[in-house]
Amino acid sequence: MLKYLLKRSGIYAVMIFLTTSAGYLLAVSTLQPALLEQERIPRPTPEQVTSSFRLLGLDPTKSPWERYVDWLLAIVTRWDWGRSPNGAYINSEFGDRVWISTRLFLASIILTLIIGVALGVYSAARQYSLQDRAITSYSYLVYIVPAPIAYFLVQLGAININETVGERIFFVTGISTPGIEGGWAQFVDLLAHYAVPTFAITVVGWGTYQIAQRQYLLDNVNADFVRTARAKGLTRNQAIARHALRVSFIPVAQSIAFTIPAIFAGGFFAEKIFAWHGVGSWSIDAIALQDVNAATATLAYGSMIFALGAILADFATTLVDPRVRVQ
Amino acid sequence: MTNLNAIDPAAIAEEARIEHDDAVIPKSTIILRRFMRNKTAVTGLAVFVLLTAFSFVGGFFTPWDKETIDPFNIGNPPSADHWLGTSQAGIDLYALVVEGTRISILIGLVVGLVSVLVAAVYGCAMAYFGGKVDKVMLFILEALIMMPALLVVAVATSGGGSSLKQDLPSWLLLTVVLLVFSWMGTARLIRSLAMSLMQRDFVKAARFMGVPARRIVWRHLVPNIGSLLVLDITRGVTGAILAEVAFSFIGIGIKVPDVSLGVLIGQATSQVSTFPWMFWVPLLVMFLLTGSLAMMNDGLRDAFDPSSSSVGAARSIGTSKKKKNP
Repeated sequence: MLKYLLKRSGIYAVMIFLTTSAGYLLAVSTLQPALLEQERIPRPTPEQVTSSFRLLGLDPTKSPWERYVDWLLAIVTRWDWGRSPNGAYINSEFGDRVWISTRLFLASIILTLIIGVALGVYSAARQYSLQDRAITSYSYLVYIVPAPIAYFLVQLGAININETVGERIFFVTGISTPGIEGGWAQFVDLLAHYAVPTFAITVVGWGTYQIAQRQYLLDNVNADFVRTARAKGLTRNQAIARHALRVSFIPVAQSIAFTIPAIFAGGFFAEKIFAWHGVGSWSIDAIALQDVNAATATLAYGSMIFALGAILADFATTLVDPRVRVQ
Repeated sequence: MTNLNAIDPAAIAEEARIEHDDAVIPKSTIILRRFMRNKTAVTGLAVFVLLTAFSFVGGFFTPWDKETIDPFNIGNPPSADHWLGTSQAGIDLYALVVEGTRISILIGLVVGLVSVLVAAVYGCAMAYFGGKVDKVMLFILEALIMMPALLVVAVATSGGGSSLKQDLPSWLLLTVVLLVFSWMGTARLIRSLAMSLMQRDFVKAARFMGVPARRIVWRHLVPNIGSLLVLDITRGVTGAILAEVAFSFIGIGIKVPDVSLGVLIGQATSQVSTFPWMFWVPLLVMFLLTGSLAMMNDGLRDAFDPSSSSVGAARSIGTSKKKKNP
């Protein structure tokens, strides 16, 4: 098992290297930070721009391939991901932003998974009952709302609550209020900032899992092996829990791998709308600012997150599916 | 030996008799009947067809178009002159919505249909050939999944693709990018389903009997994953429409002067309280569009699934829905 996981990790490492390299070459040949410098006042001469970029290691006169080799050498030898056109170090900036994104999404991802799978099982076991119809209609309703619009509507709702109460209960943007010290006050402030984004992401997210889990479980509830289990004296719920659930969880476990990069992308919408300056919003800002190194760093991060998710999915599949043998 | 050959014509005649017997209903008819029996799904189909028709001919019912500015009605609520009101710049919202709906539907249909086709071919090929071919194809697929589509969309539609952008309208560019990044999930799912089908006895039997690969895929694999394919078409159309709205909502993706529902909704978010109709009308149209697709999706699932019990009308007459394949 360990050998298998190591082998998978090796393959994914190669893949991350390839996508990141492709991303760097794409970015370095299309993004032109020198054009943005022309909008400064007073306007710098082209020579000034070139020399300032050369100091940052972003020499525009070099060919993309030379820059790629320099960039790669810096990462391999010093773990230095380069600098932005405005002089900021990618490494230090990245650390802060990853932490912000992780804090924003960790709670929501766990809640989304647990609620989604649990509701999926609950509704499949009671197919076409009132509860099933209510839960599934809700999931379909969420499914047809684009994430940023749903976040925006939740934000509008929170603002309305604040206005009706006449007091600021929820903060709809930002991470924390500067200047608040002391245990309890800080904790309340934290809750007030986390409540709206976590609620929004969870409420929008669980629908997908609920629909998937319900569908796959329904495909198996009427299978022969479940009927056999019932014929041997198990109650319907026991038969579902012991026999149908395990099989139906396999595709859901697979889909987790694809949800994690989707959360990375969806995370961008949440970060933009709730004004949390994490990795997602940084990646788009980097492209707007024609920042090659930052854009590539976020791409590498996205690939790495995906690889982690895929390995986890493989691991989960081998856990729940005895037919899958590890070679 | 001769005996075996002698039996064959009789068996064929028997099969032909069963096949042309009145009791046997073709599969497509059964699916169509099951679909039509589902009121929700038919409503969804009707709404979707109406919206598509509206997006193509709706422009003929109004004298305004998406470029004409009405200087006497700037930022007006709905009125007799402008049925859905006008934007801040004095452009008729009805004309904008017609245009936006058309672009959104076009993007959705193209991306949904083509990506499922690509995914089905790719996924089945991976499962069927297996071994080295499977490994290489899976590697390409996963490398593509790893590229965050969002970044590529942003690069392609912003600074980077400037030379490309002059030749292509931004909605076409977005369609291509969405297409390239939308088929992998389905392909991987189809691969895993097809792989488990390949282990089934009927596929093994067909293989050992020397049935050619193309026919195994067509006769055994496709019917068994058919419901998934149809579901993924409607799901893919919905997904593409939602992705377009989401990308345009935050300002990457489709760029003005091209109009789509996402652009309209995104532009109006900053003025929800002052120009509410500019926000709620395109949002409502988008809900109708994606909602009708979701309703169809559920109906199609039940129609294709032979073990589904939600379509019950035929059962009350007492006839069995099960069809014996000759």
